[in-house]
Amino acid sequence: MLPRRCPASRSGVAHLRWFPVNARIYNWMSADSLIHVHELSKHFRTFKRREGVWGSIQNLFVRDYRTVAAVDRVGFTIERGEMVGYIGPNGAGKSTTIKMLTGILVPTSGEIRINGFVPYRQRRQYVKTIGVVFGQRTQLWWDIAVIESFKLLRRIYDVSQRDFDARMEHFDAILNIRDYLHTPVRKLSLGERMRCDLAAALLHNPPLLFLDEPTIGLDVVAKDHIRHFLRAINREFRTTVLLTTHDLDDIEELCRRIMIIDHGKVLYDGHLAQLKQQLLRTKQIKFVLKDRTQADCLDAFSRDGLEVDQVDELTYRIRFDRVKVSTSDLIRKILDAVEVRDLLIEDEPIEEIIKRIYAGEAHLEVSV
Amino acid sequence: MPTIAPNAEKSGIAGMLATTHRHFGLFFDYFSQYAKVRVSYRGDFFISLATSFAATIFALSFVVVLFNKVPQLAGWRFEEVLFLYGFSLIPYGIFNIISLNLYDFGNNYIIEGKFDRVLLRPISSLFQVLFETFRIESLQEVATGVFCMWWATRHLGLAWTPAKVALLFFFGLCAGIIYISVFLILSTVSFWFEDRIGVHPPVWNVMAFGRYPLSIYSGVVQFFLCWIIPFGLASFYPSVRMLGRTISPQYAPLVPVVAVVFLTFAISLWNFGTRHYSSTGT
Repeated sequence: MLPRRCPASRSGVAHLRWFPVNARIYNWMSADSLIHVHELSKHFRTFKRREGVWGSIQNLFVRDYRTVAAVDRVGFTIERGEMVGYIGPNGAGKSTTIKMLTGILVPTSGEIRINGFVPYRQRRQYVKTIGVVFGQRTQLWWDIAVIESFKLLRRIYDVSQRDFDARMEHFDAILNIRDYLHTPVRKLSLGERMRCDLAAALLHNPPLLFLDEPTIGLDVVAKDHIRHFLRAINREFRTTVLLTTHDLDDIEELCRRIMIIDHGKVLYDGHLAQLKQQLLRTKQIKFVLKDRTQADCLDAFSRDGLEVDQVDELTYRIRFDRVKVSTSDLIRKILDAVEVRDLLIEDEPIEEIIKRIYAGEAHLEVSV
Repeated sequence: MPTIAPNAEKSGIAGMLATTHRHFGLFFDYFSQYAKVRVSYRGDFFISLATSFAATIFALSFVVVLFNKVPQLAGWRFEEVLFLYGFSLIPYGIFNIISLNLYDFGNNYIIEGKFDRVLLRPISSLFQVLFETFRIESLQEVATGVFCMWWATRHLGLAWTPAKVALLFFFGLCAGIIYISVFLILSTVSFWFEDRIGVHPPVWNVMAFGRYPLSIYSGVVQFFLCWIIPFGLASFYPSVRMLGRTISPQYAPLVPVVAVVFLTFAISLWNFGTRHYSSTGT
């Protein structure tokens, strides 16, 4: 129903030129690669703003300029059909990267080649082949019915009426947007608006979709809806998706591959499962005591150097290093020491791992 | 569906014509989108029309009051000044209708980051900024201008020949282009310097100088209004030509040349500026 666009593919050999030594990139590279980024940097010149009235007057005349590398020699390759999570703390350089990849910003140095285009040089042709959703903003016309925005976008992207109707039908089937197509955008809930924004970004059936925090501010049901839709279009049209997010559930549910960026540099690029396996050192056991009198017996654990935290009145938690402590030994120990009503073994949440990476604690042997 | 590949768009003159044709069609789409927005706030439209009309009338009554005190202004009769005033309202109106977005460009598009979205669409960025919103109530300025000119010519006993009407359209368009280009040049400053207000307000006020005969000003001011910010050139010399007065030098033929030069410069500067755009954040 929706024919794929086949951009001119380039031979794999041509790509080698940009990645002469890096074997990791070579592994991911094939004739089917969609995005090539090499040594990409963006520097901003900012100045320190002084405070107060006098400070702002001074700012007009004297400025201490500093050059900040928002993105610092980043390189990666993404294949057609991949869904990649691009994560990092605020100000890490995520949005700047996305803006260079979408052709909004001109890089300070480095190379980008996407689908055969250099985004910032062939902007008008290039943007026809991508869809972009910024979670914090909408591209829809605020004051009028959603359908009017779609109609104008159809004209802007030169989509035929037949394709337009077919796609609207299809989006409605997954996103259920029909009910509020005639509502002004300003009256939509955030979740409804996001669905419409997604549909708007995909109206021209782009092979590549950029999402900047697509689930920000949404409730659980709305998030689930969006994720379901993204999986569906990825499966059906093999749409390549690059998404930034702070919600690691997005990543766990959508992406097999993640890239972690901080201070403008890529810290990790690989499979999520691998990251977990390599960095998941800490496990935790939560257990519920039968009654309060049992609590005194827990002192024995503290003497062994194990941390025992009280979660609530009867629930306790022990965190341990799975390399040093055997899980089964520990369980036995707990059962011997106290009478337990319930017991639960958990992996360290992915958030904790990411936090450790940001803090520079985690050793990233797995990466690069 | 056509294959999208690099350089898929036609190049050369054929490509340019195709692009122009496409944008021409999109202009109507953008305008009707704007009309839909305005229709959804009807009250707002009428209030805005009323205030904008009141402003025109106040400004115009200044000329009337002035000529109640003095019979002539440096050899210019009331009717002649009114004709010039009326003519200058035409580019002013055109400018207001189209360039509302330019006035707020730095704040709205650069600082708030709306320009990101503009760059994500496969059409000209300047086209989008100019035509995303209009100020249709400024049609009253064009109408008032035409009325002033009609009233003045009737009292001056001048006839409107088809050639004169054509001249009016032609020079009106040229002057409109000059007005828009000047503000476009000023707007591009926002690509380099992030300031909320921008440099528009002082130049905006200069427009008022273009409504009176250039010959009442001193040489420096005349030069400024002719060649630096050519609001004077744009309205004065065409009016003189249409009034049939002789004056030297006769710069009217230069008006279209200046319009083309300013527009070309403005568009080039705009395209250069978009590459400097640094978006918001970090």
